Amino acid sequence: MTAVTAPPRRRRAGLRAVPKVVWVFLLIPAAVEIGMVFWPAVNSFYLSLTEWNGLGAAQPVGLENFRNLFADDIFRDALWNNVLWAVGFGGLSVLGGLGLAIALNRPRRGVGLYRSAIYLPMVFSLAVTGLFWRVQYQPDGTINTLLGAIGLESVERQWLADPDTALWAVLVAAVWRQVGYVMVLYLAGLKSTDPSLDDAAATDGAGAWQRFRYVTWPQLRGVNTVVFAVTVIDSLRTFDIVWAMTQGGPYHSSELLSTYMFQQGFTFLNLGYASAIAVVIFALALVFIITYLVRATKEEAA
Amino acid sequence: MVSAPFSRRGFLAGIGGIGAASLLGACATGSDSAGGAAATTLTLQSSLSDPDPKAALTKVVEGYGKTPVTLNTIAIETFRAQLPTYLNSGNPPDVLTWYAGSVARDYASKGFLLDVSDLWTGSGACAGFSPALKELSTADGKQIFVPTNYYWWGVFYRKSAFQEWGVQVPTTWDEFIAVCKTIKSKGVAPISMGTGSTPWVASGWFDYLNLRINGAEFHRELLAGKHPFDGPQVKTVMDHYRQLVEYIDPKGRSYSWQDAVTPLTSKKAGMYLIGAFITSGVPSDAVDDLDFFRVPIIDPSVPVAEEAPTDGYFASAKSKNPEGAKELLSYLASAPAQQQFIQLAKSSNLPTSQQVDTTTFAPLVQKGIKLLNESKAITQFFNRDSSDELQTTADTALTKFLDKPGDVNAILAEWQASAKKVLGS
Repeated sequence: MTAVTAPPRRRRAGLRAVPKVVWVFLLIPAAVEIGMVFWPAVNSFYLSLTEWNGLGAAQPVGLENFRNLFADDIFRDALWNNVLWAVGFGGLSVLGGLGLAIALNRPRRGVGLYRSAIYLPMVFSLAVTGLFWRVQYQPDGTINTLLGAIGLESVERQWLADPDTALWAVLVAAVWRQVGYVMVLYLAGLKSTDPSLDDAAATDGAGAWQRFRYVTWPQLRGVNTVVFAVTVIDSLRTFDIVWAMTQGGPYHSSELLSTYMFQQGFTFLNLGYASAIAVVIFALALVFIITYLVRATKEEAA
Repeated sequence: MVSAPFSRRGFLAGIGGIGAASLLGACATGSDSAGGAAATTLTLQSSLSDPDPKAALTKVVEGYGKTPVTLNTIAIETFRAQLPTYLNSGNPPDVLTWYAGSVARDYASKGFLLDVSDLWTGSGACAGFSPALKELSTADGKQIFVPTNYYWWGVFYRKSAFQEWGVQVPTTWDEFIAVCKTIKSKGVAPISMGTGSTPWVASGWFDYLNLRINGAEFHRELLAGKHPFDGPQVKTVMDHYRQLVEYIDPKGRSYSWQDAVTPLTSKKAGMYLIGAFITSGVPSDAVDDLDFFRVPIIDPSVPVAEEAPTDGYFASAKSKNPEGAKELLSYLASAPAQQQFIQLAKSSNLPTSQQVDTTTFAPLVQKGIKLLNESKAITQFFNRDSSDELQTTADTALTKFLDKPGDVNAILAEWQASAKKVLGS
């Protein structure tokens, strides 16, 4: 009995031993966090049930905003674009990053140069990346000029002004920046794998693909966790690069939930409607994170 | 980057405002006199964050000796989003930059704007302004806005380029189409128009065609939701717009309005329907070669109307020092302040005061004054005559139309549906 009750008592004593000034240091940031982050976040749930333009009192309208949302073509397109974006952005940056990491894993002459060059775009902010790529995509920009030079005039188009290509053009720019980051994460992961396992498998006559699939890949599980989390979060919060390149246009064809929310909230001041979009984004993020956490705990238990 | 510290200051001021408001709420009695006495400094909240206009306004405000004035400059995007918060706070800025039109009227109807009618009568600062400006500044029978400058729209071109191509300035629709045809035959895009990141530019032609075909009255009513966008009148407008599509530089779809000025100055495009602010985007050696003409007349029986977006100031109804705010407005509206601002801002804007000596202004600007004086009716621009939200429905409809002019009927029906949603809310 004493052995069981002892640790809590010790912990309580530990709590009491914390100097008062430390509590002050803890409580002030907590109060700021609650006042500046959690309270406004909770407020946006309330606002999503109201109609409010920033003036006077918000008018409660029940679930009206959500009903309107699902009848709103622009919202539905933005939701679908977000799905495309998450799959495209996540898929391409993970495949590209992993491929580059494997290709640049072996020490060779000049490999450091390649690695730095690929990582370099990461130092630009997304807004700057967007501005840079907008110039490349101009009708007389680098991309069309290159296509023309190799005889592909028929492929030339106004990448950002064409509703069929705008979203993908922005996606390429975003992946261009993200791929170096994912590569570095995987390079770190590959460094921590055991090379003797690889050598042993090679001696046993396993091919390159088999060695990767059955020897290296299982050892990358920890890195995969990080990459997955980073990618999901980055793809759901995407806003700046789209805003810098197309502002959701032409005619909403590259609209994401975040850009539509921004437009409704901060250009039109439909704060209730914008909050409803924010709640949907929050719910989506929550679904991803919960599914992921459930899977992760299950794997750990197993 | 330049505006960052100002935004932060605005933010801190906002925090301060919230603090002050809650304090006032806490001691509800007897705080009025203290608040009134403390507010000897006036606050002027400005969205003019471009270097030249910002420097100009700073200079103008420095010249005001009556009351110390704090000038807060905030980038327009933030300013627009925060405007209701500014006006609604317990300790609002006294005077704010804004533009005449429906947004100002909307705030006035909610009682957020100071009634400045006395500036418009007797020897008030705005008493000599034109009746059209007065009407623009009026909401519910009261004047709530002080206009200080405005600009005109026109079809801009390079005189030397027209000479090279052997074309004359057109005055009728048929002549205009003929000019387009000639310019196109020289391998040059007849019309430049940057509808990429600034899709609202496409509304310029829409507004003008509607003004020329259906007249200003109909145009205003259309934007107020009294006529459908898929009705026969708008279809006629789009039939004319469609005749232009083949002459519009297709690359303009990727350009901003600023980008689309470059083909015009390098003579790769012939004409550009845009506001007088184009002069800020033209290299100084080409400015003297730049000229404009009135959008051609389509139906001579329709009274000539022009777009003249008007900028100025309004004051907050909750200002702690309304008399001081009015005096500051009077100063900003005075002829010397207007002249100083326009010249320092290096803009082609026109003064609203008729006492400003415009003979020293550039010939292009004088031509602009003449253009507006000759017109029978004045409108502003699509968003200013309606709302920013209705503007995006126009952006969607018109840029889609430029891509697929054949789908015009479906596009107009869709426009009407989304306009109804905006106007209904």
